[in-house]
Amino acid sequence: MGKTSIMKIMERASGHPVKVGDRVWCKIDWATCRDFGGANVVLQFEKEMGKDAKVWDPDKLAFTFDLQAPAHSEKVAANQKIIREFCKRQGVTRLFDINHGIGQHVMLEAGMIKPGDVVLGTDSHMNLLGAVGAFATGVGNSDIAASYIAGINWFRVPETMKIEVTGKFKKGVCMRDLLTKIIGDLGAGGMDFLAVEFVGETIDNATLAERLTLCSMVTEMSGKVPLIMPNGDVLKWLVERAGPEVETLAKELKADPDAEYCRVLHYNVNDLEPMASCPDAPDNVKPVSEIAGTHVDQVHIGSCSNGRYEDIKAAHDVLMAGGGKVSPTVRTIITPATTEVQLRCVEEGMAADFLKAGIVFTNPTCSLCTAEHYGAMPSGDVGCSTTNRNFIGKVGKGSHTYLMSPMTAMATAVKGVIADPREILK
Amino acid sequence: MGEILKGRAWVFSDDVDTDLIYHNKYLAETDPKNMPQYAFEYYPGKENFAKEVKPGDFVVAGKNFGCGSSREHAVYCLEYAGVPCVLAETCSRIYYRNAINNGYPVLFVKGLSDAIKAGKIKDGDQLEVELSTGTIKDATNGETFHGDAVSNLENDIMKAGGLMNYMKAKVAAEK
Repeated sequence: MGKTSIMKIMERASGHPVKVGDRVWCKIDWATCRDFGGANVVLQFEKEMGKDAKVWDPDKLAFTFDLQAPAHSEKVAANQKIIREFCKRQGVTRLFDINHGIGQHVMLEAGMIKPGDVVLGTDSHMNLLGAVGAFATGVGNSDIAASYIAGINWFRVPETMKIEVTGKFKKGVCMRDLLTKIIGDLGAGGMDFLAVEFVGETIDNATLAERLTLCSMVTEMSGKVPLIMPNGDVLKWLVERAGPEVETLAKELKADPDAEYCRVLHYNVNDLEPMASCPDAPDNVKPVSEIAGTHVDQVHIGSCSNGRYEDIKAAHDVLMAGGGKVSPTVRTIITPATTEVQLRCVEEGMAADFLKAGIVFTNPTCSLCTAEHYGAMPSGDVGCSTTNRNFIGKVGKGSHTYLMSPMTAMATAVKGVIADPREILK
Repeated sequence: MGEILKGRAWVFSDDVDTDLIYHNKYLAETDPKNMPQYAFEYYPGKENFAKEVKPGDFVVAGKNFGCGSSREHAVYCLEYAGVPCVLAETCSRIYYRNAINNGYPVLFVKGLSDAIKAGKIKDGDQLEVELSTGTIKDATNGETFHGDAVSNLENDIMKAGGLMNYMKAKVAAEK
């Protein structure tokens, strides 16, 4: 019987053969923290191990300030300071301060992530790095602090689900719509504890941005890790950033043709239409056509699921096709994932178009994934967002959010009510 | 016979996400002792949980408890409120891991989701929970439920009092 990608990765990281259900100790390639969670890790590590204790390898640690950057309160500022001082004491050089953007994206751009890497992070969407074949997973502060002791941690070898995707998206429809469809079909617990391999011609031809979007929502189905082994342009991009060994790793860690899967699903995207997650759960899914015309107070485009250049460009195309102005009744906010993305938006003139359209174009952060950030919504308001969660009151008590693609979000901003982007792009 | 814990039930639905347990608004908090005051503040109908919960009370939920964020605050806020364990039909992967890593028990209880929906276990019911066997008795209405035991490694981590202690001992033993 052949092996799935996650089994190959865990064998490599644990140094011995594994089977599904085993608990194995794996070496950690990266132990990362954000501004939230990071201070908890530092305080816990030093409380348990002593102020003078050294981490196992400072070159395997990273800190990314992305949730509340720049700090919006004294408490957050103090937490960030705890981390800066810890890095100084420990000799950690990979501290990505408030001027970088969303952690996973920043690490990816910096060439830190390779297929097969075992990455722990205090962000439940850490696993979107499966988009380049890494085994990345979101954990709490105890897991990170304990990893600092010896650079290892325990994992259960998960079963793997395979999702094969074929077909081509029609104009106005994109990868975000596919994953919204999948989460509607499978539900919030539909991938519980599973690894998920995405394969098929649509995936083989997908851009890095599309792969990141697809992988970002596996957490919302309680999946452990999504995996796509890099090929084509994505492989080329990753080799340029992370080094030539990426090529061998991608080949070696690809699932065997006779690997065993607990479930296999097929999706064809030829006839897919724009989809949305309705309040107040990601798996409360409807086609956009059914909710078109719904009142909206705010639109947000960005986050780890849809804050890449390609996402912002797609939204820009809709904006310009729709006359270059957003409705004055809708507060519209665009947040690039990283400084690299932001700079490209500025250099290509898109940022200026956004400002002229009446849009707030912000610095790179996770922004509206939390109520404690600019763009928080008051009770009773309805928002549309490209983030990955719309739990009740997530960005403000009593507010409700629809999740959708950047194109649908921009169509909504232009029209002032929930709108199908195909009506603007035709 | 293992120890039997007795306390009142606080009953929740399926898919209770981490923002409902401990909202993102309070993520900057770093001291676990300060976290119980925010527990379930955003859960409709349970806004009074933090004020009214008594040490020994149980959190009872359906499927996929703790879905969403990796924040360990969502474990601490119950642990430090004196809730001895979470009883849920299933629990999200990250929440389960965070609980184990703190030596905090989560019992997976078959049929609990349907029992909650059918009103067979309600807020305020008196529960008797035997962690060693996973047996849960609802003394108010006589219903009995059975939870799964945790695996060996998770059990060892729990017995060590959490992952930090376990890891310290493991590293010392291998030196």
